[in-house]
Amino acid sequence: MVERLLQLVASRWFRLVLVALLVLSLQTTLFSEIRVFGYSVQLMAIFVAVAGGVHDVRVGAIVGLVSGLMYDAVLATPLGISGLVLGATGVGAALALRSFREPTWWLRILVVSAIAALSEIVLPLTKAVVGLGGWLSPRMFAVALVTFVGGLILSAPFVPVARWTLREQVSLGRR
Amino acid sequence: MAQNKTHLTRAVILLALAAVFFITLDLGDSGSTSRLRRVFDTVFSPVENVSRVITRPLSGAWNAFRNYDEVVDENDRLREQVALQEGAAVAAAASVRLSQELLALNGLPTLAGINSVTAQVIGETPTNFSQTVEINQGSNSGIKVGMPVLNAAGLIGKVTEVFADRALVMLVSDPDYALSVKVVTKSSRTTVTLPPLPTEDAPTVDSVLETTETSSTSSTTSTTTTILGFTPSATTIPAEVVAGGGSNITVPIASQLSVRETGILEGRGPGTRPIVRFLDASTRADAIEVGAPIVSAGGSRSLAPPDIVIGVVSRVVERLGTAGPVLEIELVADLSNLSFLRVLLYQPITESGK
Repeated sequence: MVERLLQLVASRWFRLVLVALLVLSLQTTLFSEIRVFGYSVQLMAIFVAVAGGVHDVRVGAIVGLVSGLMYDAVLATPLGISGLVLGATGVGAALALRSFREPTWWLRILVVSAIAALSEIVLPLTKAVVGLGGWLSPRMFAVALVTFVGGLILSAPFVPVARWTLREQVSLGRR
Repeated sequence: MAQNKTHLTRAVILLALAAVFFITLDLGDSGSTSRLRRVFDTVFSPVENVSRVITRPLSGAWNAFRNYDEVVDENDRLREQVALQEGAAVAAAASVRLSQELLALNGLPTLAGINSVTAQVIGETPTNFSQTVEINQGSNSGIKVGMPVLNAAGLIGKVTEVFADRALVMLVSDPDYALSVKVVTKSSRTTVTLPPLPTEDAPTVDSVLETTETSSTSSTTSTTTTILGFTPSATTIPAEVVAGGGSNITVPIASQLSVRETGILEGRGPGTRPIVRFLDASTRADAIEVGAPIVSAGGSRSLAPPDIVIGVVSRVVERLGTAGPVLEIELVADLSNLSFLRVLLYQPITESGK
């Protein structure tokens, strides 16, 4: 029983939940106050895109779905919308980087930022699909631009975080 | 390795299905998603509070860097405004009290009979696609979903999510917000001639109202009063006295009644003024003046009690055909600068049970 619990705590998915909680808390506090031209940088989207970029499609999808569901839980929007959009973001980042043979660090950052920005256009589209219209306006391109610039700055520090969080095996101190 | 991939694929499918399932539940107003949110909030709140304490100096520094000049200018402007409004506030308070007494006398609902909870805004929306603020009062203070929220100026929104000691307020500017409202189609500056009263029974409110003309006869006093932003004819019908039989009969003069149009107020996102739609198609656009006040309509199925000030008409857009005019509204409350709010403990029937 204890060993199972230890295995669960040591698993990368448990670490993902903890790290996503921290990123979410930064999103709802610091990054909801620091607004560039009135738009908040979407840290969650950048984190998910980075996770998809440094791992594969499946891991990207899971990180996006889990983080998105957590994000939805603190928003007033229907539960699951951000989950689907961020899930697609994780998949998109992994697929986009797969098309390059050996992407350089700056190319990774560029692609990840572009995918995170794209998610800010997909979100109002998804909301409109489920009947929550009113957000489809030129404003969403400005939001995407701010998230793109935010991604260029913040995705570099997120790379080691995403690598550590989603590392498959962590030593428990036993040999 | 292959088995691991299969497991991950299954997890992805399961999570995606769960997301679709939750969307369906949430759009169907299921209570189970609210419970799920509350459970998550129990876990997330401590983490968020710690994060807020740690990041406060950073956000404070950012705000100081971005807004210092604006704050200084605004402070000067507000000092001047406060000095100007101190006198007007006394007159307004007396007018409001009179109005509430009249409404109560006629058995009409007033805001004075509704308890409220004062709350402070502790956070803005973290996303760019919803217009909400977070307040520091929740179900422990009696707040429930659907309750209207005001600031000192007027209506700012409604409660959409409630946790133990915090709640989310959807602002009037959110595209998902809608409320039935009344448009007072007559000018807010109304001249009313009060019926003659014996001198000893003359109103004692003269000191707080701006008296423009007073004429006296040997036994009666006729007072003409102008009150800015107050329409007495909305609650008291101007009347003419007709001699009939042995007693006087009071007949309302229909042409002098203030016309009130009802419509639906809808938010249109940040930076865009809300609109009022679904006005009666027979309403002529020129019958609605720019500057006409907009107040909540009230009613058993309305999201807010009647006569909460919302804003004024800033533009009237006439439409062809049977569609009535559309009104652009300038809100009286400044939604970009919210601090202390008042939650009316009034839960609409349509939101009860949430």
